[in-house]
Amino acid sequence: MIPGGKDLEVAFSEGGQVKDLVHTIQREYPQVGELLEKKKVLVSVNQEIAHWDTVLNTADEVALLPPFAGGSADL
Amino acid sequence: MRLHYCLPLREDQLIYELSRKGNPMTVELEESMLVRVQLENFSIDEELHRVRSRSRRIGGIAMFLGTARDRSKGRDVSSMNFDHYEGMAQKKLKEIREQALRDFAIIEALVLHRYGPIEIGENIVLIIVGAEHRADAFKACQWCIDELKKITPIWKMETTPEGEVWVEEHP
Repeated sequence: MIPGGKDLEVAFSEGGQVKDLVHTIQREYPQVGELLEKKKVLVSVNQEIAHWDTVLNTADEVALLPPFAGGSADL
Repeated sequence: MRLHYCLPLREDQLIYELSRKGNPMTVELEESMLVRVQLENFSIDEELHRVRSRSRRIGGIAMFLGTARDRSKGRDVSSMNFDHYEGMAQKKLKEIREQALRDFAIIEALVLHRYGPIEIGENIVLIIVGAEHRADAFKACQWCIDELKKITPIWKMETTPEGEVWVEEHP
């Protein structure tokens, strides 16, 4: 999930880690992959920010999160 | 028990009615009203009343209200739109309230954020903290808004003369 609700589809095996998913995205969607690599975009699993070694299961809810802007820095 | 919000009662009246009847869902419902991500505007008076009515021990209330301004990073802004990650945004606001209640000497905290299209001058985000003393209320209020910006998956798109721009902020 990214702002605007766009979904990406990637083939992924059960039990893999977030870093494996990132590598797959880097291959299939290089522009998104670059943002993940630079940590401009974070990965969440089941609505918590994930680490690169977080293990993924089929039923997990995975989202790619661009930098947040909850209000503004100088509101 | 199902709660029907279409009843001709405002939420606070509904809570009062349930509370009068000793309904165990009251506490949960009251707490859910203290952390919200919502499309519609909010009344500051009503939200202030919601916090202050939680305890007669409250002696100081600090509030932060974020509103939509017409200028950002040197560009004119004509309107904005907030997108959020449904579920995670609510979860993070709930965590912020709970941590504020644990870490600061405060009595109650309300954390509210709007999403969807917001016109210039309208309300965006509201934090209200009630404590026995003002220093704790101020400190917790500042912490809540700073933490909200850091961990809550909410995004802002501004409409400018150059087009629509997703805003990335680094507090």
